[in-house]
Order: sequence, then C-alpha cells, then structure tokens
Amino acid sequence: MSATPWPLTVLIGDDDPMIRDVLREVLEAEPDLDVVAVACDAGESIRLAERHAPAVVILDVRMSGGGAHAAREILRRLPGTRVMAFSAYGDPGVVAEMNRAGVVEYILKGVPNTEIVAAVRRLAAPG
Amino acid sequence: MPDAEFFDESGRPRGFGGVRTGWNTAEQALRESEERFRLLVQSVVDYAIFMLDPAGRIASWNAGAQRIKGYAAEEAIGRHFSVFYPPEDVASGKPGRELETAVVEGRLEDEGWRVRKDGTRFWANVVITALFDESGRLRGFGKVTRDMTERRTAERALDERGRLLSHLVHAQELERRRIAWNVHDDTIQSMVAVGMRLQLMADRLPGEHAAAMRRLNDAVDASITRLRGLTFRLHPPGIDRGGLVEGLSGYLDQVSGEAGLTYELQHDLVREPSPEAAIMIFRICQEALVNVGKHARAKAVTVSLTSADHGVLVRVADDGVGIDRPLDALSPSEHFGLIDMRERAETAGGWWRIHGRPGAGTTVEFWVPALAYGEEGIPL
Repeated sequence: MSATPWPLTVLIGDDDPMIRDVLREVLEAEPDLDVVAVACDAGESIRLAERHAPAVVILDVRMSGGGAHAAREILRRLPGTRVMAFSAYGDPGVVAEMNRAGVVEYILKGVPNTEIVAAVRRLAAPG
Repeated sequence: MPDAEFFDESGRPRGFGGVRTGWNTAEQALRESEERFRLLVQSVVDYAIFMLDPAGRIASWNAGAQRIKGYAAEEAIGRHFSVFYPPEDVASGKPGRELETAVVEGRLEDEGWRVRKDGTRFWANVVITALFDESGRLRGFGKVTRDMTERRTAERALDERGRLLSHLVHAQELERRRIAWNVHDDTIQSMVAVGMRLQLMADRLPGEHAAAMRRLNDAVDASITRLRGLTFRLHPPGIDRGGLVEGLSGYLDQVSGEAGLTYELQHDLVREPSPEAAIMIFRICQEALVNVGKHARAKAVTVSLTSADHGVLVRVADDGVGIDRPLDALSPSEHFGLIDMRERAETAGGWWRIHGRPGAGTTVEFWVPALAYGEEGIPL
C-alpha cells in the first residue's frame, strides 16, 4: 500500500443512535479523520462501504444482521478497506468470531476516546 | 438268619450301619447347603450383604459390598459401619439411631446418601435386620445395601419434581438473562455514549470545567465497570456459547483477577451436562467462589469437574484460612450463601458439603445428576 491518503475516511456501523452520533463527533474532532457515512445495520454498512470505499470501517458486533457478516462481506468486496470491531462484548467467543471474519482490531466500548482514535490511525497505517 | 451281605461272620453289621450312615448324609448335606449359601452371599454383586456385630463393627463382607462401597474384605472387616455415612449423618448420630431402631422394631429400611471408599456418594437403599439368638440375645445385624443412584436419577428425570425444577431453573435463568441483556444493551450503551461525550466536552472546555467533566467521566466509567460486573454475574456470556467449562473459565478469569487469586480448572467430563445441570453447577461454583473471595484469604483455588454416577462431581478447593467456627456460628449472610448452595444441589437431586480445617483451606464438594430435559421439560 502507498502512503495513507489524507484525510482518513471512516464508516461507522452501529445500531445504537447515541453511540453512532457521539462516535462520529469524536472522530470528526480529529483533523486527519473524516466520517464519510454512518449505517445502522449490517446491510446498510455493506452498501455504504461499497459506495464510499472508506479506509476504515468501525462495526458494532451485535447490530442487526451481525457485525461478523458485515465485516466478511466488506472485506470480500473491498480488499483495501480495514475493519475494526467496536463492541460492548469482550468474551473470547465473540472476539474469535470477528477474528475469523478478518477483523484485526477489537476495541471494547467504554475505552477512552483517545484509544478509539489511536486504533483507527493504527489500522489505516501502511504496512 | 441275618443276610450275609450286611453282616459279617460274627454277626456285626458290615459297614457303618443304616442309622449312622443316614446321620452322616444329613450333616454333609447341611454342610454343603451352608457352603452353597455362603457362596451365594459372597458372590452376589448387586447387593452389599454383610453382618455387623452388636456394636456396629463389620463382621463379614461380600463381592457386592466390595463393588458398591469400594472396600476389600480385609479393609472393611472390623471397621465401624458409620464409615459408609456422610459426615453430616455421622455428626447427627444417624448410624447409631438406625441400629437402635432395628433392635426395637426388628428391622429398619432407609434410603439416603452413603459414601464410598473414594469419598464419592451413592444413593443407597439400606435394610438393617437385627439378629437375635434363641435366648433373645442380640447377636448382631444383617445389612443389605443396594446402589439406587442410577434408578433414582432416572426416576427424578421423569417425575413431576424434576420437571418443575427444570422449569424453575429455566425461568430463573431466562429472567436473569433478560435483565442482563437490558442492562448491557441499553443502560451500559447509553452510559458509554455519555462518557464519550463528557470526554469530548472536557477536550473543548477551559481548565476548571474540563477537570469537572473528567471527574464526571471517571464516575460514569466506574459505574459502567460495576454494571458490567453485574451483568456478568447475572448471565455469564460464555456458558451459552461454549458450555460449562468455557463459562466457568471465563468467570474464574474475572474473579481471580479481582481477588488476586491464581486458579486451576480441571475437567474430565465425558459429555457436556444438560443446560439445567450446567447452569446449576455454574451457580453453585459461583457462590462458592464468592465465598472464597470474601472469606478465605486464599492465594489459589482449584475447581475440578468430573463425570461420576450419571452426574457431575465438582470440587472447589482453596488454600485459605479454612473454617474456624462451626457452620451454625457463621454470620447470617455467610450462612445464607451456604444454605443456598446446598438447596440448589439438593433440589436438583444431588448432595453438597463443605469441609475444611482452620489454616488448611476449605473445600466445597457437590454432585448433581446430569438431568437432561428437552422442550416442555420432557426428559431426553
């Protein structure tokens, strides 16, 4: 991969409206991040990802349609996109399921905002 | 003239004579009959048949007794028969009472838990018969014991109480799961969003207001942690997905971290217990581990799960301060936890015990049958 394009484009998929809104605000407060779309289920996440080809997709794990399904489909259609889980569940079974779907970054809801931002940047970094 | 074939020249009968020969045959027949009877009793493997002397010491042993109780004849003979009773029955004087009843009423029948040589329990049907000689003197007791564990488990699986228990466990777990889901997916999510927003505000506000926002965020964070702990205790997520062992190991991960304990989880299960049995075992372990965390001042805890007698035998053993008081001298909250564990196990048709010595750790040990129910509480 060449140098990361600027700003870094991000898609959010989460079924909780409060989380969607605040996550968007947290990311947009960073000058190098640009939230290009917000989806509320797996189907919409896949459609909007195809349309915007974001650098990073942040997916809720338990949203309707399933975070793992959305991750698998997005990674199949957009091999250059990176997917990160943003989940309220940290038990090994759920983490393993997302891993199998190709998700390499797994962030638990409730971590400080700075960690979320750092994870997005880490994920999009070349190499 | 006597017949020459039966009498010798002097007129004495040849051989041993009719009467004497007849007596000899009867004695031999009796001896053979006794021998056959002794063989029969010794060889029966389905029943433990043995004798006690008047003081309750074991005086004879058979193959069934060895099979059911696990002791060889030379280990058993001479011991007091109370060795077969669970410690709580020995403490309450049950073995002695049973002999007294047998003396007064001639016999006594009892069903209950008995203990094998290896410490495991079996559900026994016991008949004790007092044996008196012609003068009315007590010579000892005959004891016949059958291992009814398998039949009892099968009957319990079929009976009304078993079905009721299954429904009860199911309803309780459903309710807990519902509460856990609500707290997790609604309350905690909202609080996470609030926390994220407080951090955003702290970043945008000047000094003193920023500090206030951060303190608020810390308070929200702490509440989230407590609520996560609550939902985890209400419904451990691993148990649905990965079964009992995964559920327990996830729980042990969490509580050992909180309490600064190391743990070991040993399991030797032939198959995954039914969901009812699994959740029952999980809940009792949970209570036992709460006690370890609160009272034991232990460094390490070992949880072992073993398939035994169509059920699961569980031991939760710690290396803490042990029990320094009689159980009835415990505080009401401690005592309630113990009663809760025992009731859970006994309602499921199993047994439960706690033992430990001051300074030598505490062990909670229980067995529950692997009840298997399908939809509508129909046994599988």
